[in-house]
Amino acid sequence: MTDVVIHDFNYQYPESDKKVLNNLNLTFKDNHFSLLSGPSGSGKSTLLYFIAGLYPRFIGNDATGSITFGDTNIKEIANNQISAHVAMMFQNPNQQFAMDTVIHEMTFVLENIRTEPAKMDGIITRSLAFCGITKLRDRVINTLSGGEKQRVALACIVAMDAPVIVLDEPFASIDPDSRTDLIHKLKDLQENHGKTIILADHDLGDYEDLIDEFYYLDPTSHQIRLLNHDEAAKFFANFESTQRIDKRFALPTQSDDGAILKLRNFKLDPHNALLLSLDQFNFYKQKTTLITGANGIGKSTLFNALTKLLPYEGTIEYDNKPIKRFKPLAYAKNVTLLFQDAESQFLNVTVKEELDLSFKNRFNQNYSHEQVAKMLAQLGMQDRDDQVVYSLSEGQKKKLQIVEMLVMCPPVLLLDEPFKGLDYKSLRLITAFLAEAKDKYGQTQIVISHQLAGLEDLVDYHATFQNQTLTYQEVM
Amino acid sequence: MNPGMKLLLVVLIALEISFTQSLVVNCILIAVCFVYIMVKRMNFKTLFMLIFWPMFPAVGLFVSQWLYGSAGIHFAWVLFTRIYAYVFLGATFTLTSSITDLALTLEQDFRLPSKFAYGVLAAFNLMPKIREEVQIIKTSALMRGEVFHVWSPKLYFKAILSSIQWSQNLAEAMTSHGFVEDEPRTHYRIIRITGLDWVTFVGLFVIVQAMLFLIKY
Repeated sequence: MTDVVIHDFNYQYPESDKKVLNNLNLTFKDNHFSLLSGPSGSGKSTLLYFIAGLYPRFIGNDATGSITFGDTNIKEIANNQISAHVAMMFQNPNQQFAMDTVIHEMTFVLENIRTEPAKMDGIITRSLAFCGITKLRDRVINTLSGGEKQRVALACIVAMDAPVIVLDEPFASIDPDSRTDLIHKLKDLQENHGKTIILADHDLGDYEDLIDEFYYLDPTSHQIRLLNHDEAAKFFANFESTQRIDKRFALPTQSDDGAILKLRNFKLDPHNALLLSLDQFNFYKQKTTLITGANGIGKSTLFNALTKLLPYEGTIEYDNKPIKRFKPLAYAKNVTLLFQDAESQFLNVTVKEELDLSFKNRFNQNYSHEQVAKMLAQLGMQDRDDQVVYSLSEGQKKKLQIVEMLVMCPPVLLLDEPFKGLDYKSLRLITAFLAEAKDKYGQTQIVISHQLAGLEDLVDYHATFQNQTLTYQEVM
Repeated sequence: MNPGMKLLLVVLIALEISFTQSLVVNCILIAVCFVYIMVKRMNFKTLFMLIFWPMFPAVGLFVSQWLYGSAGIHFAWVLFTRIYAYVFLGATFTLTSSITDLALTLEQDFRLPSKFAYGVLAAFNLMPKIREEVQIIKTSALMRGEVFHVWSPKLYFKAILSSIQWSQNLAEAMTSHGFVEDEPRTHYRIIRITGLDWVTFVGLFVIVQAMLFLIKY
């Protein structure tokens, strides 16, 4: 029996007087699929890192209370035995691997847990086959897509064969097909291989019929509660209702009137693989255009071309002038990219320094300090002036990033997965901020998002990216 | 040849020619290394780079020694060829050995702590990402209304921040993949130093000694 028992567990970050985890008492049952949900930044990751034995080792201070695997307190497990009890999958697909290729990473894992070399080939072949990635065996990890990387991460976990698997929002940046597939693989591991699955996610899609238990981390009491069937059903129903856009989108007129970015004879083929070919395509001024399409299809690459990060064929005109004729800074002031990875946007150390930089370099005076302070407070980001930006949770980083780019208030804002890692409430607040920037300050927005629910009020046009082309569509 | 032995040999020879002044031996070393990397099929672009870039320091050293030094033109040529000897010696190692094999042999045969061997390897595997990261940092700065040049301290500050973050994430990833410092591990691929490795190593080393002793010009 490897119930994971959390007993009288309390944790607060160093230099903080608020508990993020407050007197937790719960049991993740053996051979169950447990889902842990709750708003972003509520402390789900922290608990999982403790269960995986990474904390307190990689954080400044320890928690009080205990975590036990069956009868064994995690503190009594020697460092070299931890991985015999628990394996972990992280949120960021890019930061899970130490080696260059898939096969090297997998042998590295098996060597670490002292598997006999003679058995390794068999284990690796089986693990890769289980995850459906036999073909990726010799690939260089850096060249894989996010979804492929997470499959490799799962293959490593399968190879390690630990009884407990914890996953920290593992699907936050991968395409829907990979996500559905991986969730079913996890279910298979639980049902047919006796694993205990503890998964943190705030996106509840695909879980309802699969999970055994639903835990909710309440952001106000900082406690975790096991929901009964009805309560869980309510959460799922509530989430379902947020997942669709039933709106009928308008189609832009075919003319160039109001077009702010014009693509002509445009071809995008980095590494000689054609991603996108457009004879003629316009993005329209003071409109929010949503671009949807499967992962890895080239949406972010298109943004890189629009911001002059990548070479392309044909012309892109901004305001009737080819963008090649703009100087880099002058162009960046007009067409600005909100990076998918929030950390990439940060240039300073603390929250206040970050905001000050935006105020210093902003392109206009549209936002007042009071207005920004109010926006931050609405997002639950007040009183964090001196916090180091890198110590914020993923959701908080995203919120700060969006606010600081709103302060810049560029005429065209490209947003690459801006809602990744945000709970629904924060998402609604942010779409309202974006709508304000558009309506009041005339901003043009182009959004790439897998997250669709809650965007209906913001989005004007919808373009689908498939078969190497972009097409405006009325329905989703 | 075992990559660890190769590295050791290259470093030893490079050290030695730093303290000797034999023009002929330098030239022989360059020629032998050249043949070795050609046999190992190096492309011509890399070869061009190998000859082109060291030209600046090599010519610089040559000219300053020739015009302003007191040891004469022979020593100027020694300095010139020495630079190329270093470059080609280095190339025989870097162009023909795998960094993974080096890490494996350092851990298994040279008894280096596995933490060090894999730490270096993991950092090496991050190299392409570091190059990408610098480009991203520059673009990101533009988006915030700042221009970063190669000499901007903030560029380095940000790059260092990123690497600190990465090193933490990497340590967590390695730990979660079962890696524990100073604990025994098994080895899928055993890399041994063979008798042939020793014979090659000692043989080449002795030949270089003999040349340095006999050929003084």
